[in-house]
Amino acid sequence: MPEIILPELGEGITQATISYWYFEEGEHVEEGVDLVELATEKTTFNLPTPCSGILKKIYANVGEIVKVGDLLAIIE
Amino acid sequence: MKFCQYPHWLVKRFYNTREFNQVRLILRKFNLRTVCEEARCPNMSECFSKKRFTLLILGNKCTRNCRFCFVKKGKPILFYEEEVDNICQAVICLGIKHLVLTSVSRDDLPDKGAEHFARIIRRMKFLQPSVVVEALIPDFGSKEALIELVVKSGLDVLNHNIETVPRLYPQIRPDANYHTSLKVLKIAKKFGSLTKSGLILGLGEKKKEVKRVMNDLSKIGVDILTLGQYLRPGENSLEVKEYINPQTFSYYREIAEGIGFKYVLAGPFVRSSYLAEEIFTAIKDKFRSI
Repeated sequence: MPEIILPELGEGITQATISYWYFEEGEHVEEGVDLVELATEKTTFNLPTPCSGILKKIYANVGEIVKVGDLLAIIE
Repeated sequence: MKFCQYPHWLVKRFYNTREFNQVRLILRKFNLRTVCEEARCPNMSECFSKKRFTLLILGNKCTRNCRFCFVKKGKPILFYEEEVDNICQAVICLGIKHLVLTSVSRDDLPDKGAEHFARIIRRMKFLQPSVVVEALIPDFGSKEALIELVVKSGLDVLNHNIETVPRLYPQIRPDANYHTSLKVLKIAKKFGSLTKSGLILGLGEKKKEVKRVMNDLSKIGVDILTLGQYLRPGENSLEVKEYINPQTFSYYREIAEGIGFKYVLAGPFVRSSYLAEEIFTAIKDKFRSI
């Protein structure tokens, strides 16, 4: 099951806040579409989906601070 | 529910691609720095994915204290001669067609670092004449001989950012001078260079002040203008005074085009080297026919 991990969004950016999930658990997602919006110290990033499948589980809710390497979601 | 920290138009896609990671690896392999990384540029993943970057030469410690900039300040480090060959090798290895160089200000050096710029450009042009080289230079104290040295080294585009409006210089660029920066661009034009400059907006400037700067740049023959939004790179950096919306960027672009710039790129995520290759391609024939 592909894991969605928070990548390093920029040099020295160690964390981000979950702004918005474009899909809910159980929904089908297509590779390349925006999955989650993340706010950093400088701006907001959209993280695209790395593969197609069902968004099995979301591990970080809107407003939550996540660190680089944290598990954000699983796609099945 | 949405957690809103920034205006809705300030959303950048993150490109976690193979090329993005490849570029980072090659840069590390050749011991090279980019301003994209040092300044936490939001376009980094997009540009690296297209094998675009702006190399930061002459070390990573700046002798100036610009308040908008996230590049480290302090006692500069010694730069190394191998940087010249390392840059050329990395460019060839990655198949870069448009190289952008920039540097910290090196007021501690007698030549302000101009000779190092020239060495890199000359070497690059010798090894790969087809590579377009753009240099985003500090002001070199507006010394004509130093600007001439860089322009005549085989450079294709000379960029020097005016950054902000004259009224804000004491707060934003305390160690720089508006007229000195204009002079740099004027001298570069005198020696026949394609010239480029840019402003970062959202620092408290007024529309009429921005228009005045655009007029000043146009009068001295600046060819390319970039306008982007200042984004606070860290907690200790200057706060954003205003988020400029895309419509206002379009308004500025239309005015700038009307004044006579050959190319204007304006938008929240525009930075001085953003889409540099596309801009050069779009106007090079126009420039050479003049």
